[in-house]
Amino acid sequence: MSNNHSDDDGQRSSVSRRRFVAASGASGVAATLAGCADLVGGGDGGSDGGDGGDGGDGTGTTTGDGGSDGTTTIQWGIGPTAVQTAGEEMKTALHEAGGLRDDIEIEWVPSASDTGEVRSNYNRILNADQSDPDIFQMDNGWVNIFIQRGLIQNLSETLPEDLLSDINENYFSGFTDTAREPSSGDLYGVPLFPDFPTMQYRKDLVEQAGYDPESENWATEPMTWEEWSHVVADVKDNADVEYGFTTQWDIYEGTACCTFNEVMSSWGGAYFGGRENLFGPVGERPITVDEPEVHNALNMMRKFVHDEEFDGTFADYAGNIAPTDILGWIEEPSRSPFAEGDAVFHRNWPYSLALTGRNPEETEDPALGEDLGAMPIPYAVPESEAAQPGTGGTTSALGGWHLTFNPNSENLDVIDEVVSAVMEPDFALELFRLQGWLPPRPELFNSDEARDVAPVGRYMETLQVAGENAMARPVTPVWSQESSNIAQAANNVVGQENSAEDAMASLATSLENIEQN
Amino acid sequence: MSTETAGGERESRRSGPLVRVTRWMENLSDTTYAYLLLLPVFVLLGSIAIYPLLRTFEMSLFAQTFTGLGEFVGPGNYVDLFTGNMDRYLPGQPTFLPQSYGVEGLVTSALTMTLLFAFVSVFFETIIGMGQALILDQDFYGRRWIRAAIIIPWAVPVVIQGMMFYLMFQPSIGFLTPPLADLGLLAPTNTLNDPASATFVIIVADIWKTSAFMALLILAGLQSIDRGLYDVAKVAGASKWQQFKHITFPLILPTIAVAVLFRSVAAMRVYGIIDIVSSCTVVPSLSCMVVESFFSGFNAAAGTIAFTTAAIIGLVVMSLILWQGEEAI
Repeated sequence: MSNNHSDDDGQRSSVSRRRFVAASGASGVAATLAGCADLVGGGDGGSDGGDGGDGGDGTGTTTGDGGSDGTTTIQWGIGPTAVQTAGEEMKTALHEAGGLRDDIEIEWVPSASDTGEVRSNYNRILNADQSDPDIFQMDNGWVNIFIQRGLIQNLSETLPEDLLSDINENYFSGFTDTAREPSSGDLYGVPLFPDFPTMQYRKDLVEQAGYDPESENWATEPMTWEEWSHVVADVKDNADVEYGFTTQWDIYEGTACCTFNEVMSSWGGAYFGGRENLFGPVGERPITVDEPEVHNALNMMRKFVHDEEFDGTFADYAGNIAPTDILGWIEEPSRSPFAEGDAVFHRNWPYSLALTGRNPEETEDPALGEDLGAMPIPYAVPESEAAQPGTGGTTSALGGWHLTFNPNSENLDVIDEVVSAVMEPDFALELFRLQGWLPPRPELFNSDEARDVAPVGRYMETLQVAGENAMARPVTPVWSQESSNIAQAANNVVGQENSAEDAMASLATSLENIEQN
Repeated sequence: MSTETAGGERESRRSGPLVRVTRWMENLSDTTYAYLLLLPVFVLLGSIAIYPLLRTFEMSLFAQTFTGLGEFVGPGNYVDLFTGNMDRYLPGQPTFLPQSYGVEGLVTSALTMTLLFAFVSVFFETIIGMGQALILDQDFYGRRWIRAAIIIPWAVPVVIQGMMFYLMFQPSIGFLTPPLADLGLLAPTNTLNDPASATFVIIVADIWKTSAFMALLILAGLQSIDRGLYDVAKVAGASKWQQFKHITFPLILPTIAVAVLFRSVAAMRVYGIIDIVSSCTVVPSLSCMVVESFFSGFNAAAGTIAFTTAAIIGLVVMSLILWQGEEAI
């Protein structure tokens, strides 16, 4: 009996442990099977396979091996506005104008609209050796950082010779250089489009106020800031609009690289003493932000926003023409009041010409159609009087984006074909029509074909002036740290939290500290 | 009959790896068996928590350069952090230690901003939470509904909370900036890019959300008080204030200490609300600095700040525990 009892006991406990092992074993096997089935299912599906599991943007890439239909999906990281504007049309254009094989499909992976956020995002993806997206659209302002860290594919090693020499010979060389490793000259990115901002305006309101942009050659003859400020004030007084001038002055990359850089250059100032020091040598170039021309540039913006006098320096300028909202605006927030007809002048990239210049009857988004005008960005001192060599006169920041490639991609074998489609001149013209992205080949940029592309073709003369007066941002490995300091200082001054003199003196110290690393 | 016997025989005679494992498991003592069952958790924690933690620490021991990790420098990065040499890897103008001791200096330093945020927000959350708890502890009609209403902010996700406060103070459409600017509490323009104003908005947002959490914890403490004590107090002629001072407060103090401990740890790690309402460049919390420097590819700097943050949180927790002794745990 007692024997039996203990046996029973032993059995009971053994059963429970055994059951546990059996149950966990069974669920393990079931989970494994389910996982395999999912994988197999994804492989067979041929469209966009296993989209569970790897959160965020990771909809699995399906390479068609074995019995599937052989379609390769290439994931392309791109700005969200571009996808919303013409995502499907761009895919069609790649196949039709670019001649991309039909068994290569493109899938857009939208990133952020703030270029700094895109940089962080791509940095994270590439640092983690993630294999998708296959293609990254990268701002020319920070491709260099990715090259220096060895995170993107060296195209000089992989692209066919004919494509490489086409880029070497037929592309804007200054722009292409921002996609090269400075010491070896190796190419790491395929230039997609250069970008030159312009001053965009409401032609109808300007004409109502008695100005004649056509005969006064506004499209090609830059004005001085002083003259321009009176035009803005005058037109705004004559019309029922909320804002005179909208631009971007938030604490973000765009202020440092572009809006502040333009105003500063147009006053003859520079961050590091003129054009020849733009790309280094870091630590050996002068730091020239605490100079009168830079103070003047910032004080002029303060005049525009707050109508401050600064002891009469800006007495001849019109003030109160820009809202304090610019201190929190990046591109899209500043463009929307303009596109809705609430602003007279607006500084933005060519994409804004493409979107705002659409015929309002053909789009549901706000647009101005033929009422949209463009002119070069105004200036304060001519080139001959500029304090820093190579500055002065109308200045447009050099923007633009390159296509770079993920070295961990599983589809590197078909990348050449995508590159070849992207480089087709007809595809470049399609991008120009759909997105306002300027052709990266000077031959195409200056062609009659480009002029005939509506709506941006209408502004080609202005864009050429802007392109001739483009100022690159000083991209070095330390630029992203410098730019966040610069943007914050520029924002503080125009926000009246600090005087231009104090803010620039402390900015000079921080830049010195970063440069001396 | 025969099958049963056969089954029993087979049971004991079976061999093979699975049977051996099962048999070995059956003979384990209860403690060893418990550890065996916990093993998967240890493996999981080890691979997703402890390994990355050690790896981060290892990274913090290598020199930071603008293009990646440099040579082994031991504690050099920690020295750099406290001597200001690491500031160049932080986003924008923020520094690790304060450059001056005015409001501006304190809110542009990651260290003092985080401590300031934690102290001010936890202080007000405790006061407001205690007030809410005292009200909820009363018997009144509709108490259940009021309780649910007070808890709503706690249930709002941080992104939604952030958007609410962002929109309230957004330059073009925010309706709260002008009245508060008139009172001199906020900068009238560029509010969310002004360090002091943005810190203020973020502290208010945090108090709005987490006072409810404090109220819940303190309410639990209040409800555990023996009501008989108040009857005795009434008979003894104690006023309401005396009842609070001599009965309520001493009895809920341990609960408050635990609540303050939880909230302080969470407040020292603030990140999400800052990223949504303003930006890490403007309101530099320690976690913000870790995230930003990591996203910029400065892994050694990120590791150094992360471990320093953990050490500072550890110090604050230790001092809170010392303050309330073992009752807090």
